Amino acid sequence: MNINDIYVNLPVKDVQKTREFWTELGFSINEQFSNDKAICVVMKKDHIYTMFLKEEFFQTFTNRPFAKGDTTQVLLAIGVNSREEVDHMVKTAVEIGGSKYGEPVDYGWMYQNSFADLNGHQWEVMHGDASQMPAE
Amino acid sequence: MKVNQIYVNLPVKDVQKTKEFWTKIGFSINEQFSDDRAACVVLNDTSYVMFLQEDYFMTFTSKPVAKENTSQVIVAVGVNSREEVDKVVNTAVENGAWQHEEPEDYGWMYQNSFWDLDGHGWNITFADMSQMPTE
Repeated sequence: MNINDIYVNLPVKDVQKTREFWTELGFSINEQFSNDKAICVVMKKDHIYTMFLKEEFFQTFTNRPFAKGDTTQVLLAIGVNSREEVDHMVKTAVEIGGSKYGEPVDYGWMYQNSFADLNGHQWEVMHGDASQMPAE
Repeated sequence: MKVNQIYVNLPVKDVQKTKEFWTKIGFSINEQFSDDRAACVVLNDTSYVMFLQEDYFMTFTSKPVAKENTSQVIVAVGVNSREEVDKVVNTAVENGAWQHEEPEDYGWMYQNSFWDLDGHGWNITFADMSQMPTE
């Protein structure tokens, strides 16, 4: 079984600030799925999207209280095209209000750096060449 | 900027049960990225879910793991038909998940949902974008 596309839905405090943050990082917005309660960030067209929903709106999709940012339920790892792109994204994120929560890790075949966004959601940005992954 | 793939990492209590759960729903496992602490479920060739044993998950974050009584994320995945939407949710529920709301039919989009064994929220959708109403 294969899916067609994935939408990762995350709660945010301020949709407009979140829009500016992800736009600064270089991503485009799918305006058809965006309004004042939600923005849809295009991570890979037709395949991978992140929906950032205003907390009250997010709350309508779950009967549990949304997490307040002091716990972690999810880590989102995204693959980009080069090590430079990894570091550039993390550096930009930190400059515009994100924060670092770990040091970059270099596995040889994979390089990874990470940041927490404005709402504390944790992103692991990586560049890997699976063909170079050591066999155990 | 665009990404080439995504790995959604979620904490679980029992990796083996989680592996069986997602296999029964019909997904395959990437064994290269799986071991006794982690199961890598292949959603398609760009999207994966890594289910990590809670203790292992905690090594990647300085914040405590969220307990089942809150939501930080709901993952929505699109499949090929309404029938597939219901089949995924029904199979999930038969295998220990529970439905968290009734299916919704927007005409151009049909959606059903479940909480998995560890309380992570999943929306299963089928959409025909050509039928989406313009505002």
